[in-house]
Amino acid sequence: MAPKKGGSAKPRGNATEEVEETLQAVVLADTFETRFEPFTLDKPRCLLPLANTPLIEYTFEFLANAGVEEVFLYGGAHSDQLESYINGSKWRAPSSPFRQFTFLKSTSTSVGDVMRDLDGKHLITGDFLVVSGDVISNLPIEGALAKHRARRQADKNAIMTMILREAGNNHRTKASSVSPVFIVDPTKDRCLHYEEIDHHSSESSRLNIDAEIITTFSEIDIRQDLIDCNIDICTPDVLSLWSDSFDYQTPRKQFLYGVLKDYELNGKTIHTHIIEDHYVARVRNLKAYDAVSKDIIARWAYPLCPDTNLLPGHNYELRKGTLYQEQDVTLARSCVVGRRTVIGQGTSIGDKTTVKDTVLGRNCKIGKNVTLEGAYIWDNVVVGDGTTVRQAIIADGVVVGNKCAIEPGSLLSFGVKIADGVIVSEGRRITKAPREEDDSTASDPDIVGEGGEGYEYVPYDDEDDDETASNASSGLIYNMANLSLSTESISTLSSEISDYRGSRSGSFATSLSDDEEHDTHFVQDAAASVFDSLRDGVSTDVVQLELVSLRMTANASDHDVRRAVASAFMKHAAQLMEAGQGAGEVVSDIFGKYHEIIERALFDRDSAVKTDQVDFLLLLQQDLVHRNRGETVLLFAAKELYELEVIEEEAFEQWWADERSKNTEELQKVRSQTLQFIDWLANAEEEESSEESDDEE
Amino acid sequence: MPPPSAPLTPGLASFLKSLKINPIDTSIDNLISLLKRRQIRHSRSCATATAYLLRSVISACRTSDASKLIERVQSVGRRLIAAQPREMVVGNIVRRVLGLIRDEAEDDRDGDFSLSEAGSESLPQTPRAGDDLSESLYGRHDGSASKPLSSLAAHPISMFSLLSQPESENSLPGSPASASPSGRLPAHPQNKDIRAEVLDGINEIIDELGQVDDQIAAYALDHIHSNEIILTHTSSTTVQKFLLKAAAKRKFTVIHAESYPNNHEATHATVSGTAPNDDELLSTESFQKPLIAHGITVILIPDSAVFALMSRVNKVILGTHSVLANGGLVASAGTRVIARAAKVHQTPVVVVSGVYKLSPVYPFDFDSLIEYGDSSKVIGYEDGDLVEQIDVQNPLYDYVPAELVDLYITNLGGHAPSYLYRIVSDHYRKEDINF
Repeated sequence: MAPKKGGSAKPRGNATEEVEETLQAVVLADTFETRFEPFTLDKPRCLLPLANTPLIEYTFEFLANAGVEEVFLYGGAHSDQLESYINGSKWRAPSSPFRQFTFLKSTSTSVGDVMRDLDGKHLITGDFLVVSGDVISNLPIEGALAKHRARRQADKNAIMTMILREAGNNHRTKASSVSPVFIVDPTKDRCLHYEEIDHHSSESSRLNIDAEIITTFSEIDIRQDLIDCNIDICTPDVLSLWSDSFDYQTPRKQFLYGVLKDYELNGKTIHTHIIEDHYVARVRNLKAYDAVSKDIIARWAYPLCPDTNLLPGHNYELRKGTLYQEQDVTLARSCVVGRRTVIGQGTSIGDKTTVKDTVLGRNCKIGKNVTLEGAYIWDNVVVGDGTTVRQAIIADGVVVGNKCAIEPGSLLSFGVKIADGVIVSEGRRITKAPREEDDSTASDPDIVGEGGEGYEYVPYDDEDDDETASNASSGLIYNMANLSLSTESISTLSSEISDYRGSRSGSFATSLSDDEEHDTHFVQDAAASVFDSLRDGVSTDVVQLELVSLRMTANASDHDVRRAVASAFMKHAAQLMEAGQGAGEVVSDIFGKYHEIIERALFDRDSAVKTDQVDFLLLLQQDLVHRNRGETVLLFAAKELYELEVIEEEAFEQWWADERSKNTEELQKVRSQTLQFIDWLANAEEEESSEESDDEE
Repeated sequence: MPPPSAPLTPGLASFLKSLKINPIDTSIDNLISLLKRRQIRHSRSCATATAYLLRSVISACRTSDASKLIERVQSVGRRLIAAQPREMVVGNIVRRVLGLIRDEAEDDRDGDFSLSEAGSESLPQTPRAGDDLSESLYGRHDGSASKPLSSLAAHPISMFSLLSQPESENSLPGSPASASPSGRLPAHPQNKDIRAEVLDGINEIIDELGQVDDQIAAYALDHIHSNEIILTHTSSTTVQKFLLKAAAKRKFTVIHAESYPNNHEATHATVSGTAPNDDELLSTESFQKPLIAHGITVILIPDSAVFALMSRVNKVILGTHSVLANGGLVASAGTRVIARAAKVHQTPVVVVSGVYKLSPVYPFDFDSLIEYGDSSKVIGYEDGDLVEQIDVQNPLYDYVPAELVDLYITNLGGHAPSYLYRIVSDHYRKEDINF
């Protein structure tokens, strides 16, 4: 008792009323990622079952365990399903440990939007927890909370405490593709710098630590061995920080990084609470889904185990060999049920079937001679005789015929039917949800066989292979997800952004700017922001507003703004073209919609020497050097800009004549195709001038 | 009762606090989830929580109809047991309360009989133990009614007299004939408020829970002699109090196995006296001087050294999680090793345990009684390679068969394992065993 008393007595001594304040928590049900497609096409991600219990239950258990009294749940996609689930759950019952439970719907598209929305609603009164709806943890939070409160008492600027779990170098539950790196002052647990290392991009395997950090602090820890599961204890100041910088989308890569970087400016400090015991994990992608399922079955997350029966009505019992079994399970006499298996109520398993490392939901029918290994099978699934399923996820209501083979990495979404004898090859994602393009659900007999139902789901960003797709998910950043893997020629924004200080060669940001280093960051931020807006089709005004505010905060030059805009536009264009649209169409589409943004960055309309416009064209040209079919795009862009009267003839002429546009061979090459446009322009001008002279005559 | 500042994390203290303000159904659900989340653990805390909850349940019942009360308590009890079947004390307390209600009901019915005074030795707990096997579990609330019952409410310490009765009265074979059925229960609408008396009974159970360690400790001097070497295990308060009581008068040596990995920190703290006792415990008296402060030599050893040291040990004193009807017990992991080692060396094994831990459950499948805990206590979760490749099991409990135990000391005195069935039948009514 005494240590706890001691913990809670500390703040009491200083400010009595603060002890009374209730602990609030914000749960982000949607983390704005696409990692669980195709399942998330039908169901919100936090309702997907993990060891037969919806993910969100674990999160609420964690909050209840932490003594949280007020919960704000932000629904994202499918929030109606989520709401009806929550309303029927024990968390809304009078016995719920949460005194207040608020379900908030929002149209947010990023964590940043949610935070800003929350700030606008003025619901938060004191310290609060921010967790995503897929956190699984048995950590009692009081230690971290007491430390956080003590720190805040001492220093108002200590606004946030992140809870991190130590996890060695290799760990199945750690994100494998992107390693967060925390630089911490161990004497004060203060986080000094944060970076993410993307293992998929070869160029970002370096850290850029401000020399000041090294000189100022006598002791720093650089840690890459931490599981970051986005459990943050925040003060209300955090919300206003989010609001102040409304280009921030993601809690770590942008918010954390940004706040730490701006320490000089705002003086806010962020602290870490590194724990060495207890279980903390986040189901950030399918790989983590697999790892966390294993952890739960192996009781690492005790007491969050299947036999705790979190959901009312569950009645799992632990048997020998880590076998969890509910009542009314029918096992054939000759079937072999191996270790680490969970079997739900009403499931039957046929003769000579072997089951190992598998989670089986309720009311499944598994035929004879079936082999299930490492499979995650949800409710009401039928698996025919002689079928083999390895390391696959099979969603509710799927029917798999006889003598099929479901190979590792396959994902069969809700209601899919696989005909007899079909082999679902590695990494296929099959769904029945309406297609994005035309809403059709026509089945693809090549994939599911004659009489089957479903078609192969191709994520819109067309990632190369599933393995990387599920690995590449940093989990933190929605808008970066589709950028991490593409052909070399597309210099991706994600690499630009990780290129914080512009010290690396190769990426376009540096090739452009050997000048002011601090501007590079603005360019990346702004480019990312504009790019996101373009992709999401946000209106011009909004984009412009964000851009201006970014410019103001970073005190960036007009040149930087143009650079950011050029880069974002071209990036977006390249993306659309990747998706198969024609260059002309793409360019006219983007510029048609967003030409105002460019216009607002050009201030030389009235002067004779069009430096700004030339500058913009140069930037476009330079950007396109690195992109596929840059020549064509430049041609179309020039034409479009001319037609929209964004850039005037004189500017084109000056640009064409400018030394900087023909410095290198590459630049020459890129602008080669635009020659015809310049020629045409010259002709048109002549005509025009002749017309004019006619008029004069 | 609850400490003034409830800790942030819900636990026993916050539960008891909330019990007063919340409606009863909320409290029930609350306790269920606390049990599920293992936020209330250990026998004593579970027992206390259950007793307080049932007291509220009964006082919230608007009826004094015994059969309805029984039904209500049964349904609550079943849910509590389902929440955490391995905390057997929950079931024990529920059964005790059911027994109380039945007693009161029968008592009522025989209310016209003259009530014997306190200390009357003709207490009739025995008849109900009659082997009337045909008696259905739920249908009949009869049984022992034919003898005059001393009203438990008649004298406030009756609960203890009830418990201690078997001690004074050794020849107890209840005659089956005495279990003759008599009239139905709710036949006396004019009866006095059953509830009040049941509540008194529950209060006595609660008091018992608070005093049980001291009562057990009272027997310490009979069992611990000067210059003995005692081996014990885990940080059980019952054992500690037992040893402390003896330490006040005698000098002896204690060898303490540390019970890694589930209880070693608490054990270290107990031995060194640095940290206060387990925070789950209500008692404010948990601030007690450790054994070493009494001049007792305490030697902390790893569990693996138990066998090597056993040859020097005069007596093994163990705490327990629960005691089963066959004389076996479920106790912290490592207990069985110690008991076996003691058997090999012919060292007497003494188990100290409150009667409330004594469960009428017969361990047909003792695997199911064992809780498996947090794997990360065995190997660190940060060791990714091991986590990936190794199946870790961390049983929290051991089942120790009756033949490894020589003596049980309860708050009623010392018993041989083979005698426990008697105490079971004295405390739990047969119809409640599988309620």
